[in-house]
Parts: sequence; structure tokens; C-alpha cells
Amino acid sequence: MLPERIDPSHLARLGSLPIKARVIVEGALSGMHRAKLHGSSVEFAEHKEYSPGDELRHVDWKAYAKVDRYYVKQFEQESQLAIYLVLDASASMAFAGGGMAKLEYAGLSLAALAYLAIQQQDKVGLVACGDRALETIVPPRGRTTHLHDLLSVLDSVMTRGGAGDESPAAALQRIAELSRRRRALVVLASDLMDTDDKTLEVLAQLRAQRHDVSVLHVLDPHELSFPYDGLTQFEALESNHKLLVNPAAIKRDYLERMEAFLTRCRGALAAAGIDYHLTPTDRPLEATLLELLVARSRLGPARRAG
Amino acid sequence: MGFLAPLMLAGLAGLLVPIAIHLIGRRRARVVKFAALDFLLATKRRTARRLQLRERLLLAVRVIACAAVALALAKPFTSCERKGPQVTRGPQAAVLVIDDSFASGYLLDGKPWLGRATAEARHIVQQLGPEAELAIVRASEGADHPTELTRDHLRLRDQLLALEPSARPADTTRALARASQLLSASSHARKTVYLVSLLAKHGLRTDDPPWGKDGPALVVVDLRPEELPNVAITALRVDAEPGAGTRGVAFDAEVANFSDAPATIELSLAIADKVVARGSLSLAPLERKTKRFLAALPSGTRAADASVSITPDALAIDDRRWVRASLRDQVRVLLVDGDPRTVRHDDELFYLEAALRPGDREDSGTSVRTITAEELAGIEPAAKGTAAAIDLESFDVIVLANVAALPPERVNLISAWVRAGGGILVAPGDRVDPAAYDHTMLPLLPQSLRDPIDTTWGAQAEDRDSRALHLVKWEADHPIFTPFSKTAPELAAAKFFKVSLLGPTTATSDRKVLARFTNGAAALVEASIGSGRTLLFASTLDRDWNDLAIHPGFLPLMQQAVRHLARKHAAFGETEHFVGSSVVLSTGDLKKLEVRGPPGLGAVFEGDRIAGRSSVRFGRTERPGVFRVIGTDATGNTHDRDELAFAVNLDARGGDLTRAAETDLPPSGTGAGGLPVDTSRRVELWHALAAALLLLLLVEGLLVQR
Repeated sequence: MLPERIDPSHLARLGSLPIKARVIVEGALSGMHRAKLHGSSVEFAEHKEYSPGDELRHVDWKAYAKVDRYYVKQFEQESQLAIYLVLDASASMAFAGGGMAKLEYAGLSLAALAYLAIQQQDKVGLVACGDRALETIVPPRGRTTHLHDLLSVLDSVMTRGGAGDESPAAALQRIAELSRRRRALVVLASDLMDTDDKTLEVLAQLRAQRHDVSVLHVLDPHELSFPYDGLTQFEALESNHKLLVNPAAIKRDYLERMEAFLTRCRGALAAAGIDYHLTPTDRPLEATLLELLVARSRLGPARRAG
Repeated sequence: MGFLAPLMLAGLAGLLVPIAIHLIGRRRARVVKFAALDFLLATKRRTARRLQLRERLLLAVRVIACAAVALALAKPFTSCERKGPQVTRGPQAAVLVIDDSFASGYLLDGKPWLGRATAEARHIVQQLGPEAELAIVRASEGADHPTELTRDHLRLRDQLLALEPSARPADTTRALARASQLLSASSHARKTVYLVSLLAKHGLRTDDPPWGKDGPALVVVDLRPEELPNVAITALRVDAEPGAGTRGVAFDAEVANFSDAPATIELSLAIADKVVARGSLSLAPLERKTKRFLAALPSGTRAADASVSITPDALAIDDRRWVRASLRDQVRVLLVDGDPRTVRHDDELFYLEAALRPGDREDSGTSVRTITAEELAGIEPAAKGTAAAIDLESFDVIVLANVAALPPERVNLISAWVRAGGGILVAPGDRVDPAAYDHTMLPLLPQSLRDPIDTTWGAQAEDRDSRALHLVKWEADHPIFTPFSKTAPELAAAKFFKVSLLGPTTATSDRKVLARFTNGAAALVEASIGSGRTLLFASTLDRDWNDLAIHPGFLPLMQQAVRHLARKHAAFGETEHFVGSSVVLSTGDLKKLEVRGPPGLGAVFEGDRIAGRSSVRFGRTERPGVFRVIGTDATGNTHDRDELAFAVNLDARGGDLTRAAETDLPPSGTGAGGLPVDTSRRVELWHALAAALLLLLLVEGLLVQR
């Protein structure tokens, strides 16, 4: 029996990524109780009196028995949803303050989502960005075997670790181009630490194209609380910058800047109608997954259907 | 700069400690790969400079603190020239000579220089320590000096605190000589004189050094500023000035500029405390000029106090000078020529007339009428009232010059006149017969006459001068001899070849020999006859028996004699008295005499202090100003004696503050006890370093806290 809450650090000790993904999903689902699973491809909508041309298999025989009339079940026929999982695999995502690296946390989150989506027979694709040379794209597929391929790629990206300083903006633009005809669900797991806010702009652009967009803003707790003390040399992950400093001297200023950054991200994404989730890496993954699912369920079928 | 413990400088190697800590600290810094470094960099851009500065300051402070510790332990010191006097603590004898001349009242920044001098002297006393035997000698002229050294430093400090500028010039040489005397009585090997003085040239006499080679060590405490400009009134004379009216007088004020810069000063003349005239003078550097004021004395008075003042400067005491101005009283003299000649210069009275009326001027103060012995018949009472008659009452003094013995009735007549207050001067000559004088003239003489002696009788011409007699032992305090010093050459040089010897005293009172010849014989004898006086001169008044008449002393002697006989002594304003000098006051018939001077200065002469004296000596002239005299006669009447009032002024030498040259000072003797003269002093710096170290530690703590 899996614990109700799975510490991300404990999760890391589990076996392969598919197992981890399943553990996360089941952990999340066990917490949902009566929560409905959305994303099924065929859903009942209403009855309609039979008219010639309607498919007979949709005739509701039980109703005919009751009222002696032919009624036809009308269904909201959802086309198979394309889900693009975008993993920011830039060097900054390799930061691990004390526990799990942001990249690992983001990867596990997306793996769980992929697991869940494939189970719902949605098509799931993966884009891992960060280093243009190592950019990985897995086209969306809905087969069960696709899950294995996708998780393998995801696992290799996580194993490789973060590299490069390219923001997810380019990858997102590519998704926008690929899914021009069909709306898609785009889930971005990133720390959003690109210097020019390009990612936020592209996300807003995607949303403007009626794509469903969710953002997992993955940050390390050390980045949020800056708990350092004593003379410390900070080294950038995406550049060669170094800074020897007494953290206590700049902590207040740093926290103010971080708060401003979060406010800016939250504000910009909310303004664009984008689902935003601040996700510290010490937070249980199933809680993150559950929050994401709950938030999507609140959006309602229309939004989910596009 | 040097170090008392230079080995401790090895501690400077400790400078490496904070540097090493700094570098190691940088190396030991925790390395954190941080994603949000952009935020840190943005933060750092704002604080980096401050932080870097703080780090560097911290390093510098720690390095300096380490260096300060090592340097302080090495006890650094430096040497510098001593600014103050060389004072060595310990057993010794020392005398502080303090300049308290009136120049010490010179105002520097509104305070007398003497204040600085006494403060420095107190500092020296403190530095010398309790084992030092000390004395304080004032350098003003005539100041009282201590008789011995003392270890009672508290009393010395009290003396210093009580010290005030005197009104006398400096006599530094005398004070140094006294200091040397005091030190010579001490058994200490180290003997030092500390001279705290303005070093005015006038106070030092190079021809009379205070000590020889074995004298004490001299330490000059030079508190004198570079410049001491001073303008002073150095003299004030007053004379009758007929051109300014019957009450006209002329005041001649001599003003000296003792500074190196030109000066323009305002003068004012005050008579009886009322300013009556003003003027101005422009003086070149070191120039003296005389300013003449013409004024009239107030009506109804024959004498008044007058003063001339100039714009007060830093030394105000010499900016005013006083004088007694008076209208001269003429002495009426009846000269009786006992040996008239047609050749003028052979006449018995040729020289006396010239002496009493020099230049035959109206303002000589003397009116003279000359008659022959035969004309004395005119004084007969029967002839009184006739045109040719001679009224003795119209004369103050009668001079009988070589007059043969008069008939008794004439003598009685003259004697009565003398008893009533007249004065008579009798001088013998070849026409005087002592025997005849004994017969009739004794009522007019203090002593009888004997035959004259000729000291040159039988001598060769070349021995004549050497056998002559001279005047000696004159009563310098007597009003007649006031103009003369005790050794006045103008009197002593006169040669007397023939003199009358004197016999027994007569029935007169208060007989007094005022001068003698070198052979001991009386030369000038005074006595009282009733209210009058008689003077007997034992030689002739012309050149028959002596050559006094051609000596400078003859004129003042005769003038003073007739004025004394007429009770009219020195004309007002003629005699100048300096602060500290004694003033001889003629008592006449006064029973009580009171002198009132500036506040606190005065004296009362009565009883034994005045009885039987023809004069008293007043010495409390410590301050300049006018001293009034109030006399009480035998009848009990008390009134101002204007003729006795006198003015006291500063000795003008004291106003000249020209600095003495090094050579004017006596050489420092060997009294230093063989101690090496150390002109430099060591200043230890480790105290300052220790203080700096504390400050650095404080700064370091503040920097660490930030």
C-alpha cells in the first residue's frame, strides 16, 4: 500500500519512471474520492426524438420501452485530446537546493500526467527544451505503448540533467505551429527564469489561439526562502557568473525581487487565462498532480472541450 | 622617530594574519550553484560597492589594528624642540625673576601680559617639584626682594597670584643680581634662575653684570610677542607763558613712538580734571615729538593740577602724565652791596645778581633791588614813608654781602623784621670785621664769626688749587640742596681759597650746619630767628675768596637759598618726581602735614615725625598722579599747601619696550650642576597608538555588525 502522501525524495528511490508515474497517479486518484475523471472521449449530452438518418445504435431502447417512442442519445463526441507536455530542461532546472532537482520534479510531474492521459487514451506528446542541440520532441500519440516511449525519453532527459539556457518560448512556438488546426492542452513545467519574459508572451499567445495551457512553475524552496548563511559563492547555472557574498546582506533584497517575479508571472498568466501553479519541489507530487486535475475540472467541460 | 623596544616590531609580521584570514575566508566560502543568480546579481549591483568597500575597510582596519598593536608594544617615540623652558624636576635651588614693571601690564588679547607670566611661573614651580628650594624676585625697579629660598611652594603660588603690574620701570639686572645672591647661599649643586620677562632693553645693564662665570644657570622664559607697539608721553613740562595772558602757561608734552610703525595719536590737556585743549601728532617709527599746549589757569587760583593724555593703547599707564602748574611767585630780594665797584665784574654782587635774575628776565621768579650799606640808613623808621625810604616789608629776603658791621639800631630793625618772618643771608668778605660783627651783628647770625683763613697763603701758584677747600657733606634732603645729588660735581668742584671760621652759636634756634668744607669747617649754617630764618655762608658771594660763582651749582644754590629764606621753594612744575622716588617736603612752621595721593597712597606727619624738622621725606609714591599736601600751622589752621603739592609720574624709560639683544643678557653660569643641556624633548607615541587601537577595534565591531 502506498502512503497517502509521497515525499518527492522518497519517490526518487522508487524504480523506473513508469512506476513512479503510476505511483503518483494512483496517489493522486486515491485522494480525489468522488472526483470525476474528465477527458473521456464520448459523453452523453441529451435525448433527441428519432428522425430518419440517425444511427440505430444510438437509439435508447430503454426509453422506448418506457414511453414507446424512439429517442436517440445524443453524445458530445470529444475528439482525442492532444496534450503537449513541455519540460524546461535548461541548466537552471538542474538546481537542487536540498532535495529533488527542479528538473526531476518537473519530469516526474509530467510523467504522471502522461501516464494519466494515456490511460484516458489521450494523445500525449513531449517537448524537452533548454539546449537547442539536445531538444527532444515526442509527437503526441494515444497508444499505450507510446507511454513507454514517452517515459523513456523523459527519463533520458532527466538523467542527462539540465543543460543550456534556452527558454521554453521556442518550443512553445513550435507547438503552436504544430497544433494550429486542433486545439491542444499544453502543460509547461518550468522555472520561467528566462530573462526577457518571452515564455510568458508565447504562453499568452498559445492561449489566444484557444489552446488550453497550464503552467507548473517549478521552484526550489531555497529559491523561495533563500536560507543561506555565511560567506557564500553563488555560481550561475546558465552562465559563468559568480558572486561571493554574505547572503544575510542581500537576503531581504533578494526575497523582494523573487516576490516581484512571482507576482509578475502570476499576474501575466492569469491575465491571459492560463492555469498557473506555483510548485515548490518539496511539495508532494501527487498533491501537485491533484491540484492540476482539480483546477482543470473547475474549468468545466466547455473549456476542456475547447 | 625611534623605538624603546624595537624587537617588538617583529610583531608586524602579524599583519599577515588578517590578510590570510581574508584570503582563506574567500577560499572557504561555500559554493552554491544557484539558478536565480540574476536576482542576486541585480541585488549585488546595488550593494556590491558597499559590500566590497566594507570588506576592504574591514581588512584595512584589521591590518592597521595588528600594526598598531605591534607598534605600540615597540613604544615608539619622537623628539622635538622644547617649546617651554628647560625645567628639570628634583632637588635644586631656583629663583624665578618675574617682570612686574609697568610694561607687564601690556594688554595682550585684552589681558595683562603679567597674567601669562605668572601662569607660566606657576607651571615652572609645579614642574620643579616639592624638593626644589625657590624664591620669587620681582624685576621692577625698587621692588622688595625676598631674603631666602623656601620650600613653601603654596606661599609662592599665592605670591604669584597676587602679583600685579607695578608703576616702575624694569631693573632686571638688579633682580638677577639678587637672584644670584639668594642662590649663592644654597647648598644645592643645581642653581637656576628662570627669567620670565618682557626682555626690555632698558632693564638690562651690560656694564654691571649680575654675576660672574660661577653664576647660576639662566633659563629665559620668553613669553614676549614679536611686536609690542607702544606710544607714551615721556615728559611734560610747564612754564609761564606771558603770551597767553597774565595766567598763561605753556605745556610741552613729549610723545615717543617706541614701535616700528608710524602712529597718529590724539592728545588732550586737562586742567583740574577738565579737558581744555586737544591736538594730534603724527609720529614716524621710533620718533619723538613735542606738542605744546597754551592754556590759562582757572581764575582765582595760582596753581592747578594738569595732565596730558593720549589715545590709550595696549600699555595705557604711560599714556598720561601729570604736572602741577602754577603762576610763579616772585621772591623779592634786597641785596646790600658791601663792596660796590665801578668795574662791574669786580662788584660784590655781580654774580649774585646774575644768578637771581638770569638774563634779567621778568619771569625769573625773583625781583631784586640792590642798595649799598650806606643806603641802609633809609630803613630808619623816621624816614619811612619818604620816597627814598626802603620799606623792608616789601622784601622777602635781605642779602648782606660783605657788609661791614651795622649799627645796633639798624641790626635791631632788621632783626625785628626777620623775627616777623623775613629771611636774611649773610656772607662775609674782606670788609667784614669779625670783632665788629660780634659786637653788633649777632642777632642776625646763627654763629659768631672768627677770622678767615686763607688756605693758599704762602703757596706757590701751582699749589694754589690743590690747597683749596671744597664743599662737602651738604644736606641733600634740605630744600636748598634739592637740585643736587649727594656728589654733585657742580658744587663739589668749586674751590674755596679763603673762608671764615665760625665761633660760638648765638641766641638763635634750630641751628643746623647744611654744608661743610673739606677741612670740616662749617660752610653754610641755618638757624631760625623767631618766624624768620638766617643763613650764614662762610665765604664770599663773588670770586674774591672762591670760584663758586663760576660753577654751575652757584645759580641753583642761590635761587634755592633765597626761596628757602622766603619760604618759597621749588616753583611748581619745576621738579619732576618719578614713581618710587622720595619727595622732600618743607615743613616750615607746620605742626601737622598730611599728604594725599591716589587712592591708598598718603601719609600724615605729626608729633615726633615733624617736630624740630625743617623738612619731611615722603616715600609712598607708588602710583603716578598728583599728591596734595594739607598743612596745619601752630594756630590750628588747616588748609591746602599748594606750594607743596607735587606730581608723580612714570619713569619714561619703562615705556621703551625695545627687545634686549642676546648679548644684553648675562651669560648662563655653571650652576646647572653639570647636567647636560637637553634642548629636545621626547614625545612617546604609544599612548596615541593604544587609543587608535581602541578606536580601530570599535570601528571593526561596527563594520562586522553591518
